[in-house]
Parts: sequence; structure tokens; C-alpha cells
Amino acid sequence: MSEKKNFKTAALMKEMMRNYYAQGATAKEKGIPVAWVTAVFPVEILYAAGIFPYYPENFGALASARKVADKLSLYAEAKGYAHDLCGYARCGIGDVYATEHPVGEILAPDVIFCCNTQCGTLPKWFEAASRHYNVPYFLLDSPQIPDQPEELITDYYVDQLKEMISFLEEITGEPFDYGRLAEVLRLSNETCRLWNEVLDTSAMKPAPFGFFDACFHMAPIVTMRGTPEAVNYYRALKEEVDERINKGIPAIPNERYKIYFDHIPLWPKLRWLSDLFASHNCLVAVSQYTHSWAYSFDLERPLESLAENYTEEFVNRSFEYRLQLKMNFFKKYGVDGFVLFSNRSCKPTSLGLYDKRSVLNERTGLPGVVFDADMSDLRFFSEAQILARLEPFFEQLASSR
Amino acid sequence: MGIEVLEVIKQASANPGRQVQEWKQRTGGKVIGFLLTDVPEELIHAAGFFPFGICGGSVRMDRAEVHLQSWSCSYVRNSLALALNGKLDFLDGLIVPLTCDSIRMVSGIWKHNRPLPYMGNYRLPMQVERPSAKKYLLGELERIKRGLGDYRGKDISEEELIRSIRLYNSNRNLLRKLFNLHECNPDVISNKDLYTVLGASMVIEREKLNRLLSELVKSLEDKTKKPVKKTKLYLSGTFINLPEILDYLDESGGAVVGDDLKNGFRYIEADVAETGVSPLESLAIRQLKKIPFAGYDVPSNPRRYNLVKEAQRKKAQGVLFLHLKYCEPENYDYYDNLQALEQAGIPSLRIETEFGETSPGQLQTRIHAFMEMVGGENNVREKEL
Repeated sequence: MSEKKNFKTAALMKEMMRNYYAQGATAKEKGIPVAWVTAVFPVEILYAAGIFPYYPENFGALASARKVADKLSLYAEAKGYAHDLCGYARCGIGDVYATEHPVGEILAPDVIFCCNTQCGTLPKWFEAASRHYNVPYFLLDSPQIPDQPEELITDYYVDQLKEMISFLEEITGEPFDYGRLAEVLRLSNETCRLWNEVLDTSAMKPAPFGFFDACFHMAPIVTMRGTPEAVNYYRALKEEVDERINKGIPAIPNERYKIYFDHIPLWPKLRWLSDLFASHNCLVAVSQYTHSWAYSFDLERPLESLAENYTEEFVNRSFEYRLQLKMNFFKKYGVDGFVLFSNRSCKPTSLGLYDKRSVLNERTGLPGVVFDADMSDLRFFSEAQILARLEPFFEQLASSR
Repeated sequence: MGIEVLEVIKQASANPGRQVQEWKQRTGGKVIGFLLTDVPEELIHAAGFFPFGICGGSVRMDRAEVHLQSWSCSYVRNSLALALNGKLDFLDGLIVPLTCDSIRMVSGIWKHNRPLPYMGNYRLPMQVERPSAKKYLLGELERIKRGLGDYRGKDISEEELIRSIRLYNSNRNLLRKLFNLHECNPDVISNKDLYTVLGASMVIEREKLNRLLSELVKSLEDKTKKPVKKTKLYLSGTFINLPEILDYLDESGGAVVGDDLKNGFRYIEADVAETGVSPLESLAIRQLKKIPFAGYDVPSNPRRYNLVKEAQRKKAQGVLFLHLKYCEPENYDYYDNLQALEQAGIPSLRIETEFGETSPGQLQTRIHAFMEMVGGENNVREKEL
């Protein structure tokens, strides 16, 4: 596995993300407001308004990947925030009170935007942040959609987008530019299209690109969709993946099985987990997580289209809808088995997995397993326990062929 | 007479299923359960159904743990465990208010494992001050009203809804009177009895409840006990789930004078206007103006300041935080609530419990110590004014 070459594009991403963070650091000097936002938030509107969007979730993921989530968390815990709260939130809150900043300081906001499409944790964390920084807080409320989309929800979201635009106009002191929004949406469409073309190559046998590669390359789709830089980046990545296809360079050396993985990876153990799957000749090919950014906006009806795309995200959908979504991924990528990560940090993606494992197994006949850990915090990580779950799964896979 | 009525109510609370089953047998009606508590029960009642509040209970939790992680909310796990253990078999339907992640996720899990003929979510808005909130909420209430009407086979009429609103207002008014009696003179009705009655109000037939409460209030009003000085406390959190906590307060001279609990004063604080606007709009307005809780903060009335304001208004000498383990919304609010209280010089104690827990032994010591600290000499039992 160590023979696997890194993507050349990785260097480009590092540079791009460096620039992105530098922009954030200098925004204040330039009089550009810094806004906190969440991953499933219509950031296109903020880009169109010329506001710098900053993602505290990324800060959490970075701290987790650098294995310092527990250290930052202790500062939050000392203030009474419990260790069973979301790991990202504990990193973000902890850093505020920390005397040392192992991944740099979290960027202080001028205004906070939040969406509860993903979970109820983000609003509570961001409310606490708005109290701490004493800045305005705006929630885009996104009630859960059952099996079919509802006009009631779309209309509510559109109404709120209009409220948000008025709120932004007050902040920037300028009328909102819908022409600019159309351009940002076009760029966002292009970014999502390229990203999903790259993800789709995981269905090839053998595949040049897998879930763990996607985890590495996803930062721009989360933070910078709607910018020309993100389009350039995924164009370059797509070219490199095509080149690998032509040269026959696979994502893992001996791909025998394709696996579906739910959901966020174990950031502090990303390499360990990816090596573990590869050592059993398993390519983790697909996850609803990395596929979340698959938006397609209609430029003729921007607000309605933003509302539909963002409220209809899987994490805001019913039990049955999510089962169907997983099964569609199984089919599209031709997976041989599925692994479901019950993540202490993330109730909306984890509660229900115990039942879903057996339903998916019954409906598809594919072997599957659930394991418990935390996406951020190594105090909730037990290698032995995870192996005790995954080893029998790997054996099942081998015997099913 | 009051004592007898209180006994009837207490028994209903101790065995919540029995009353509702008797009602079902007698009337052939249907029972719609709800998880606590923002669900607009008036709509359920207007359709002729029995609204049944699922208030937790003693049950083996292990059957729920096959479906829900041990680090999810214990109220949600306990409720599901009740259903899986056959303790809610009288339910024909269920409405789940989506106020946090655990509750939002249990809805689908419940439906998968114990499907009921009528199942729905109440998706209350999580921001309440922008105009979009009210417009959306009206649509959401209309959707629930339509769904209940469809289940019954006949739309809910405006007259039916107004009738139910009146009944519920009357229930709430009586319960508020009871709170007031307790506040003026805690010896008339103890902390434990007060909250027991409130809990029972979610599981007793509402028409019958009105009769029982009227009698109870009347008999207590007649009591001419001399007020005894007690240590006034405000409760803050999601639920009061262990009645023993109220015993510890009673025995250490504490009197609860207010709370923001889902199964406390927050449940009965606001009425639904009977005139002026449409009944559905009245229901919406009530929801938007509820006492701030952990579900979302209200910019014009932040919870922490509301907490301080209420504690001061009620002259509470301390605040007791009742938190459920793994309750994220409460935990995210706690630090700032505590800061606000400390700045106002109000002492507090945070205790963490779980539904399904059986041995609250240590809590007694902690609560007694806190009471001694905040109340000082007031806490000498039965000390006359």
C-alpha cells in the first residue's frame, strides 16, 4: 500500500487551501466580513455577496485528523461541555478557551450563519459561539422532509433565503446582486459536476479513486464551491484521475471487493482504516458522505433551486429514504458489502444504523457490519473492538466469492 | 375531599395505561401518543382522539438498546423501550415533535419496529421571530390537522377545534392555579404532588381532568394553613424524570416556584387565544411564544437572561439544573446559563440523570447540601414565620 503514489493535485490543493485560509486571516483588514457557515449551507449566496465563508467544521476535522481533538476538547470540558458532544464542536469551543493552538486559532466571525439540515448540534454550537463572540446569528431552518419533497418546506426555505438576503444587505450595505449569484451558481454546478465525475470512477474495476481519496480531496467542494478556483481544482483532479485510468494505476493494489462506507471517516485513524481495508483487498468505493455535494442548480429559478437542493439532502430525510439512497449506491457502484460507522459525534447519521444494517442485509443479501467509534476523539477509539467487528466481515466477504 | 381527588390523580399517574385503556373500552375511541411536549394536543383532541403523553416509565431498557445507541437521549430510549415491551400497545398513533437529534431519529426507528396506523412528526420551526416562522408553522399545523382528519375519515371542523382549545385552556388555567397555590403556600401541595398532578394531566381524559382539578383546587383553596417559610427554587432543564428529586426538595424545605421544563410549567404557561384570529393561528402564536427552552435560543429573549429574570421575579434563592445525560441542547446552553446566574449572584446546582435509572441515592446528599447552602436557616423544617 505504501507504494501508492499521492495525487499530484494534492500539492495544488494544499496551496489552494493555504490561500483560502490566508484570505480569511486578511479579510478583516480588507473590510470583508467573515461569516461562519456550515457544510450543507447555501454558501453560494455568501460568495455572491462578497462575504468570506469560514467552516468551523473543517477546523474540527483538521484538529481531528491531526489527533489533537481530545486535547482541545479538554478546554471545552473544563467549562462544562460534556465529552459526549460532537467532536467538531468540542474542538471549536475548546480552541476558544485554549492556551495552545495546535492547528492554529479558529477564525473569529463577524456574523454567524447556520443551517440545521445536517443536525441540531451545529445550531446549538453556533448559538454558543454567537454569545461568545457577541455577533449576529442567522439560522436557516430546514424541517425534516419525509419520503417525498414538500412544497411547504421549499416555500419556507425560500422565504428564509429572502430574509437572509435582506440581512446580508444590511451587513454589506449594498443591494444583493442576483447576476453575481447566477455566476456563482454556474460555478457551483460545474464544481459539483466535476466532483461527481471523479467520484463515479470508483465504480470502475479496478477503480483509480476511492472513498479515502475522496476524503482527502473534498475540502474544496465543501468550502469553495461557487469559486473559479474550485472548478480549476476539480478539473485538474479529473484530468489526473483520467491519466491514472489510461496508465492503469488503481486506487489500491489488488482490488477484489467494493465496499460502501457510512459515513464520515475516523479522521485521526484515516490511514489506519484505509490500510486496513486495502490489506483485505477492499476498495471503499462510495459513501453518502462524500456524495453529499452533488448539487445542480437551475439558474432560472435560483432561490427555489437552492431551497430544493439544500433541504433535500439525505441527512434531512426519513429512515426509508436513506435506506433507498444506500441501496442505490450499492447498485450503482456494484458493492460487495457495506460498513456502517456508528459515530458518537453524529447522532443524525448514526441513530438508526443498527436497524438499517439488518434491513439492508435482508433486502440486498450483502454482508454488512456496524462498528462504534468517534470521528474525532481517540478516547472513544478501540482498535481491538473495531477489528472484532471488521475481521468477521472480511471473512464473510471472502467466503461469499 | 381534596386528598381523595389527589389520590385518584396519583394513581392515574402511577399507572398511566390503565385510564386510557378503560377509556378505549368504554368509548371505542383511538389513542394518539405524543413525545413531550410541544405537540399541539388540541388538534388530536379535536379529532376525537385521546392525546396520551409518553412520560417515561419503569421498563427494561435493553430491548431499546438493540435499536438505539446507549449514548442517545434516555427519554427517547425509554419511550421506545416502553413500546417494544408492549407497554404502549393501546396506542393507535404517535406524533413526534422534532426538537433534537435523538428525537428526530427515533421517529423512523419507531415506525420501522412498531408501526402504528397513524404516525407523524411535528416539525415546529426552530427559529421563531422572523415572519417566515409563523407562515410555515401555520402550514405545518394545517398539515397535521389534515392528517388527523384523514385518519378519522372526517375533517376537523373549526367548532371542534375551538371546543378543544377551550377545554385545554381550562385545564391549563386550573393547573396554573395549582402552581400558584403551591407558590403562595408550599405546604398546601408539596413539590412532588404538584408535578405528579402535572404529569397526570398528560394521561387523563381531559374532560375528566377538568372535574378532578376543579375539585382539587377548590379543596386546597379552602385549606387555611399558615404559610411556612421555605427556600425558593427555580428548576431549569428538559424534564423532571425522577420523582425522588422532588422528595429531596420537600424534605429539605425547598419550594419550587418556577421552571422551564417540558413537563413542568412550560407545558401549561401559555394559553391559546379563543377569539380574534383563527384557531390554527392561535395555536401557532402559542407555540412561537413559549418559554425559552434548549431547542433554540430566541434573540429577543435569550434563555439565559430569561432564566435570571424569572428566578429573580420569583425570588428564587437558587436554581437547580435538571439535565439528562447525553442531552446535547441543554449541555450547549449550560455554560452561558451558569455565567448569567453567577453574574446575577444566583447559586445553582446541576444534576444529571437518566430515564430508566433506579438508584438516585447520591442525589439526596447533593441536593440536601445545596439546600443547606442556599437556604441557610430557612431550611430548618417546619420553621414558622
